[in-house]
Amino acid sequence: MYSLIASILIDGIAYGLVLFMVSVGLTVTLGLMRFVNLAHGTFAMIGGYAAATAITALGLPYGLALICAALAAGAIAYGLEIALIRRLYHRPELDQVLLTIGLVFMGIALSGMMFGNSLVPVRLPEFLRGATDLGFRQVPTQRFVPLVMGLATLIGIWLLFERTRFGIRLRATVDNPRAAGELGINTRRIYAAAFAIGAALAGLGGVAGAELLPVEPYYPLKYLVLFLAVVAVGGPGNMLGSFVAALLLGIVETAGKYLAPDFATIALYALMLLVLSWRPEGLFRRTSKT
Amino acid sequence: MTNLHRSIGAAAVIPLAAVALALIFPNQQAFLAQIAITALVVLSLDLVVGFAGLATLGHAAMYGAGAYGAALYALHVWAEPLTGLIVGGLAGATIAFLSALMLMRAHGLTFLMMTVAITQILYEIVNKSRAVTGGDDGLYGIVMQPLLGVFEFDFYGRLAFWYAAVVLWLVFLLLRHIVASPFGLTARAVRDDGDRVATLGGNIFGHRVALYTLSGAIAGLAGALSAQTVQVVGLHSLSVTFSADILVMLVMGGAGRLWGGLLGALVFMMIHHYAAEIDPVRWMLFVGAILVVIVLFLPKGLFGGLEALVNRLRGRAPA
Amino acid sequence: MTTKRLLAATLVAALTILPALAETVKVGVVGPFSGPFSGSFGEPFRQGIETYVAMNGQPADGIEVEFIYRDLQSPDPGRARALAQELVARDGVQYLAGFVFTPNAIAAAGISAQAKIPTVIFNASASTVVSQSPYYVRTSNTLPQVSVPTAQNALDKGYKTVVTAVSDYGPGVDAETSFVKAFTEGGGEVLESIRMPLSTTDFGPYLQSIQLKKPDALFVFLPYGPPTFSFVNAYRDNGLDDAGIAFVGTSETQEVDLQSLGVAAIGLETGYFYSAAHESAENDAFKAKLAELYPDAEPNPATVSAFDGTHALYEMIRATGGEADPDGAIAAIAGASWESPRGPISIDAETRDIVQNVYIRVVEQEENGRLVNREIKTYEAQPDYGAAQ
Repeated sequence: MYSLIASILIDGIAYGLVLFMVSVGLTVTLGLMRFVNLAHGTFAMIGGYAAATAITALGLPYGLALICAALAAGAIAYGLEIALIRRLYHRPELDQVLLTIGLVFMGIALSGMMFGNSLVPVRLPEFLRGATDLGFRQVPTQRFVPLVMGLATLIGIWLLFERTRFGIRLRATVDNPRAAGELGINTRRIYAAAFAIGAALAGLGGVAGAELLPVEPYYPLKYLVLFLAVVAVGGPGNMLGSFVAALLLGIVETAGKYLAPDFATIALYALMLLVLSWRPEGLFRRTSKT
Repeated sequence: MTNLHRSIGAAAVIPLAAVALALIFPNQQAFLAQIAITALVVLSLDLVVGFAGLATLGHAAMYGAGAYGAALYALHVWAEPLTGLIVGGLAGATIAFLSALMLMRAHGLTFLMMTVAITQILYEIVNKSRAVTGGDDGLYGIVMQPLLGVFEFDFYGRLAFWYAAVVLWLVFLLLRHIVASPFGLTARAVRDDGDRVATLGGNIFGHRVALYTLSGAIAGLAGALSAQTVQVVGLHSLSVTFSADILVMLVMGGAGRLWGGLLGALVFMMIHHYAAEIDPVRWMLFVGAILVVIVLFLPKGLFGGLEALVNRLRGRAPA
Repeated sequence: MTTKRLLAATLVAALTILPALAETVKVGVVGPFSGPFSGSFGEPFRQGIETYVAMNGQPADGIEVEFIYRDLQSPDPGRARALAQELVARDGVQYLAGFVFTPNAIAAAGISAQAKIPTVIFNASASTVVSQSPYYVRTSNTLPQVSVPTAQNALDKGYKTVVTAVSDYGPGVDAETSFVKAFTEGGGEVLESIRMPLSTTDFGPYLQSIQLKKPDALFVFLPYGPPTFSFVNAYRDNGLDDAGIAFVGTSETQEVDLQSLGVAAIGLETGYFYSAAHESAENDAFKAKLAELYPDAEPNPATVSAFDGTHALYEMIRATGGEADPDGAIAAIAGASWESPRGPISIDAETRDIVQNVYIRVVEQEENGRLVNREIKTYEAQPDYGAAQ
């Protein structure tokens, strides 16, 4: 009995951390910046392809490949922000939906042409392969990647947004762009940087989660609902909320798999309905105007 | 031009367009029927997205309910099409009404994700009820009786197209009436400033539930049309993917205008069909680029762009 | 003036000569040439067809075959029917081919039956598909066809207890049902049957709870691509192989995924109808031509299904001299048998479904580092066991 509960928690938390890593970037772009970014998965996918290429074609170690992933996704996002996305911040949400879906379509076709339509594995280094023995059971060693990265990201983002000049300016810009502009903040640059950071985080998530969500052209659409669920349940714009929501969703779906294997998906969505009916703003409201 | 003339003129657009399409594409009746059915479901989506201001990725729940409802009715009760159509509409309305009780206090991303959750749960239930629904293999073996006891469903889809086009036309006329009625005006008032309507004593929740149920009924009709004319119902009809497709069509055409939904469905289906015909492998690149271009250059969608064009031409050469 | 005349003369000449040169038979191919299934089906279909054409030229003197490709990304019966109708009515195809998903194949069956269009199914695997139209022929497989011999092999290997884990969709349920039936009839015991939602990404919990049941073996069926990749990795990473729970699979190690699976796949045993490592002159010739045309392509079961499907089309076109004679065409292919790259195959005269060998294979790594499905045992001339059920 205790080992069952322990197993549910271990697998659930491990899965939840993967969910957190793949959706944390969306908490920034959709949650904080309030841009309906349905192309989030595209940036995660770009990260995945960049890492796979860095490892397989360039022979770089896994750690450097992670940096390549973040840089590639961030750089492409930065370019897109300047060329397209900044024109839509003040437009209705539905226009943002249409634009980002258009980008997703183009991303699917382009990545299929460049990398083929089958999945591309992100090869793990030897020390991350196989299983780690916990005594009463084994866990996949790779899961320590999202564990470490998830906690590091949570702390890093918190420091960045709460403790740096950039974070203060970003929050000011989001809450009241006009006042921020009058205070001499370059709001355009702040927005572009924040969007690129969100995409870079997506790129990291794409690599960290590649064992469960393999990199392929259709990635952005296939897992879109998953990303949105984490952000909605956590409360848009709240980093800690996304973290808790990802763990909660991970644990509930995992418990479903252990206890009622045929109904795991239904359990997940039923939980989502319950939480959102109970707290329409998500578990944690965005802390603003402080 | 008087108002009467204008509304008669507008009412004739759909029949004229249907005749034109049938003449231009004589050998693609089944595809035209798909367009008419899709236009009907996009029209119903516009009630929720355009007139209530709620973006949803769960409209397939009602469309699928109508499709499965009509299919099961045809297989087990009576294969008569018109009563089947009513059954489909009722199935869509029922699902919409039940979910509206849960949904209509939410908005924004929360509303969107709740509609996704409801659709996914329905999808899983239908997938698991293989004995009744055929699960992932689909529900098939539907053979409809002649329409009105006279017209046989031909395999080229001629009847399918005219049947769907007439239903689309009638629903469109009905919706035009509703949109201009006090009910429709209230809908827009709620969308634009819900608090004010509430202060004035309006029952926002009840109003939204009614609107959502109406939309569900129409989506159910579209699902029933699909079941009867395709003769197979698959899980696709209950999927988030389908919901996303019709949302893209609506926004592309211009949400909040009935004509926008119709135009969006027609243009998107045509572009998709012919782009995929020219290049079955890379068509998504082209369609994606078109979506981006529309967002950038036609902020009010295709219909808004068309209107602006017409106004400019009129302005230059007043009749 | 003179150029115009010359042009006109050439045009007239071309118009009179062309029909005499060749009669064109059109074949409409419907499949996922874009979208999530293009890598595992759409591309292999096209490669199989074009490899066959490159190896065999035209079916007969004076008959040219034109393939018209139409994209159908996912199960969408309405679009399937519309595409089939349009191909027949507007494009004038004499034959249809392709179809990956069962609902699509069933939706097109109405067109095939009523317009009398002989159609070769390249994949759609539910047993009932071929019976939906008297003009349907199948060159792929059904799940009972491969699962029953796989169950037989599990019994022969002495496995007494099994847990089955399949993806919760049509083919998964077919695989589970036929495996459980064959395994229990042979005296084995099925401890539990798990149906995993198609959208599952984390298979760890399923594998952990299977491990607690301590079966001798785990029977698996998952769709190609991402689910297979995640599942096989999870099987290794959760230590099921160390715990002595044998992997009994079907299509999981198919060639399109095999190299991506990497070392995790080594030693996995599966029962399926085609291995790229099959040793025969036909397979060597097929692989050589495929590699010549598409250097990056993997010879895959779907490629061979389309390759053999094209053979079936050629047989029908040849038998009818390129004329529209649907009943003659079907009569020519029903009961036919030939040597395919996968081994000897035939089309059952009654059911128009394929009869073929099912091979038990084990994944090995060759010296150059590439993984292959090495055939170790053959169950000959297997029918669709699902049709009898």
